[in-house]
Amino acid sequence: MANTRMLVNRRKAVRNIRKITRTMELIATARFKKALDRATEAEAYTRKITELAADLSASATNLSHPLLQKRDEVRNTLLLVIGSNRGLCGGYNAGILREANQRLQQLRSESANFSLELSGKRPITFFRYQGMKPERTYTQFEDKPRFDEVEEIANRYIDGFIGGKYDRVEVAYMKFLNAARQTPVVETLLPLSPSAAQRERPQGERAVEYEFLPSAADILQELLPVSFKVRLFKCFLDAAVSEQIARRVTMKQATENADEMIKTLTRQYNRARQAQITKEIAEVIGGAAALE
Amino acid sequence: MPQRELHCVVVTPEKAVLDEAADFVAMPMFDGELGVLPGRAPLIGRLGCGELRLRRGMEVRRFFIDGGFVQVRANTVTILTARAQRAEEIDVNAVSQALHAALAPAPTPQAHEEQFKAQQRARAQLRVARHRHEQADHR
Repeated sequence: MANTRMLVNRRKAVRNIRKITRTMELIATARFKKALDRATEAEAYTRKITELAADLSASATNLSHPLLQKRDEVRNTLLLVIGSNRGLCGGYNAGILREANQRLQQLRSESANFSLELSGKRPITFFRYQGMKPERTYTQFEDKPRFDEVEEIANRYIDGFIGGKYDRVEVAYMKFLNAARQTPVVETLLPLSPSAAQRERPQGERAVEYEFLPSAADILQELLPVSFKVRLFKCFLDAAVSEQIARRVTMKQATENADEMIKTLTRQYNRARQAQITKEIAEVIGGAAALE
Repeated sequence: MPQRELHCVVVTPEKAVLDEAADFVAMPMFDGELGVLPGRAPLIGRLGCGELRLRRGMEVRRFFIDGGFVQVRANTVTILTARAQRAEEIDVNAVSQALHAALAPAPTPQAHEEQFKAQQRARAQLRVARHRHEQADHR
């Protein structure tokens, strides 16, 4: 009797969990769609900025800007790790933290100085456990990062880079390739790679003679910080989209596992019940036989 | 035959604000206002903060934009800006307060510069908001 009761209780518990994971899956799906829409809208801006940069650098050939300058000796590296605030999203945080940790170990072996900035509660607890002190932490970035918030951080990085506080700025985050593929990466954002600014224009497109107000070089001076900000913003957007995808996939898996478990438990329960009935009948018959 | 219409696109890092046709577009450049009519030569320029006007027929629409870049090419005006706001959406009280805060004396030269920028932004926003009322009176 105790056995069947236990099985019923367990099945009930699994059913409840299944309800939760199923709901989380649905929520993550909805959020993912919204985040993806935002990312595609932002894409238009990024594309235009790169296009402008390409047009400009075609006119201003010998450009030099503090943000483009590669330092000969990299003494201080800043690593920003973008993770999630909440768990239950499978290997999302683990992947990012693995990449970030590898990078940190590499830096340590080069005995270079580094400072750490973390976004999301998961990376914060992870690095606290590792006994590392982050310089700054952010927890305000959820599934809708706002440009204003990112711009604030970007401005600080630009100031730090130009002022010589940092020689390199890197970001560890989950890069969104498409809906089925995301990979954790560590990317160098500063110094800006000139290749990103001077991208080859697609073949067959004729170069347009532009009028520049003010000169091309002047505009480029203004454009480079913006292009850095946009790239940083894109990292946050990618991270937000990837997090929702990871959560959706994980929760889908969890729901399926729960389904399977319910099936197994039901079968066990039916068997136990049947065994009990058989036992009772055998007892009744045995009792009747003893009376004769 | 030249096309008699401009196509105006406004994008911010967060979203595409506007994508529509216009007869005339006026935008705030870093050193003053610039008007664009159909058939203008290709241009790339830096924007200041101020009022973006789109005229289509008799209707004029106003936006506040905060810096950025403009590209004019093949009758398409692309405006890349950090912030874009419809004139109707400007909260005059909030902006006035921001202006008031920006008018306080700054402790460091750097803060001073930032406050100056904030002042300019707030004043430009108020200007755009005022024009909106003038237009309403005019009707």
